[in-house]
Amino acid sequence: MGMLTGSGGLLITHEDIDRAHDRQRVLAARGKRGFSASARLLWLLIGPGVLVMLGENDGPSMLSYAATGATFGISFFLPFIVLTFVMAIVVQEMTVRLGAATHRGHAELIFERFGPFWGWFSVIDLGIGNFLTLITEFIAIRAGLGYFGVPPWVAVFTALAVLYLALLTHRYWTWERVTLAAAAFNLIFIPVAILARPHWGTVGHALATWSPLPGGLSKDSFLILLSNIGATVTPWMLFFQQSATVDKGLTKHDIRFGRLDTVLGAALASVAAVATVIAASPLFGHHMNAQNFQAAEFAQALEPLIGRVGASLFALGIVEAGIVAAITISTSSAYAFGEVTRKPHSLNLPLTQGRSFYAVLLLCAAGAAAIVLIPGLPLVHVVLVVNVVAVLAMPPALIFLFMLANDKEIMGELVSPRWANMLTGAIVILLITAGLLFGISVLAPNTFAFVLRFLGR
Amino acid sequence: MSTTEIPGGTPGFESQELLAVLEPGQLTGAKRAQLPRRYLKGPELVVLWSLRLYLFFMIVVVIYQLFAGVD
Repeated sequence: MGMLTGSGGLLITHEDIDRAHDRQRVLAARGKRGFSASARLLWLLIGPGVLVMLGENDGPSMLSYAATGATFGISFFLPFIVLTFVMAIVVQEMTVRLGAATHRGHAELIFERFGPFWGWFSVIDLGIGNFLTLITEFIAIRAGLGYFGVPPWVAVFTALAVLYLALLTHRYWTWERVTLAAAAFNLIFIPVAILARPHWGTVGHALATWSPLPGGLSKDSFLILLSNIGATVTPWMLFFQQSATVDKGLTKHDIRFGRLDTVLGAALASVAAVATVIAASPLFGHHMNAQNFQAAEFAQALEPLIGRVGASLFALGIVEAGIVAAITISTSSAYAFGEVTRKPHSLNLPLTQGRSFYAVLLLCAAGAAAIVLIPGLPLVHVVLVVNVVAVLAMPPALIFLFMLANDKEIMGELVSPRWANMLTGAIVILLITAGLLFGISVLAPNTFAFVLRFLGR
Repeated sequence: MSTTEIPGGTPGFESQELLAVLEPGQLTGAKRAQLPRRYLKGPELVVLWSLRLYLFFMIVVVIYQLFAGVD
């Protein structure tokens, strides 16, 4: 279908028609009462929140959680990880409100409200971060499938094929359901955790109490702390969820379900993250330093402890995490590109109308995939720093989100309440503090030992 | 991009009824109109530039960590 001219002189596109079909189903479900109608409404409206949260449980994140369990055990980090997901809910909820209130993507709003100077800064941050992260997703996919003896080029092309297949329908709704189905496999880490035979009383105790960080403050512990924060709150999530909320067609009336979607996604993702820490914790009992482990090495190291099935599930989980994140992250890049260049940007677009959107999406993924296939590149460094870079880039991104969510001119009554602003402020301060402490730990590694000695501990 | 003009300048009745479920701001055509620019004030610019400098500095730290052999 081409574009039609509406009665108000506005152009009506294929994208509008598809979105209207989706909204028609939502309105039909909303017109009914009872549990089944509410369940159907939830089914129709969930998507961006679950996808963003499970998408952020990506290759480097799951490896970071596994390194956490293997290096530090579960005592400090289980409640810490749950806390990071609470932070993610606070942050992502703002993108739901922004998308539903303005019907515009995050990059678009920054450009239009604050001008291209700050807009380009944000989009360049996003583009660099996304590309580095995409590389790590393909590293994870390659390493995960490598555990089963799959050659790297087959692994990488398989992932690209899945990404391409998800786009073939040229329909947001179908893309979302296909990606949600793939993302559900993130929960594969739960059976792996069970196979690790943890002492559930200890797990419960770790979650209920917050034990001190084993080994105290050090450069390694800060790196892991930052990696775990970067595994849950990153700039691409802001851009993706707001754009997906707009593409899905959510309105002010759907914000309650958008919040539910976000909380549900965070709950599922935190369970998978906690399960991954537990799954790798037997390595902690065997005093293995696993901070530089890749996916296949984790699976191989875990095999004697949790069995071949458990190790295989772990490797498959890393592959799934990489594929889903590659889909969502490359989509967030394509949305942002379309928004700032004012070219059509929607998963509802047919190929002929969304050439630039689909080209950016596929080129980002293909470029990252190609880099992974170059022999001899020190890719392990990229995996180690990608979550750290995400945390460092988060405060500037959060300030724009904060300003937009408090912009009465575009948000009207949906501006952030005071409690949300206080929480956001606390998150920004926490992220900056964590970043600065990490910087101190790198530039002056003995500082923490000196301070602790000075304090007499 | 191809444009199909509907006789009389309006989409068919069926399409109009369908499109009525969208809020006006959701239509692609409506999004072509830019939102008014909001000029940043002094304190906002100070915060934004401070965070920009923080990010540049921290990226240098990360690069230093990677390439200066700080393990």
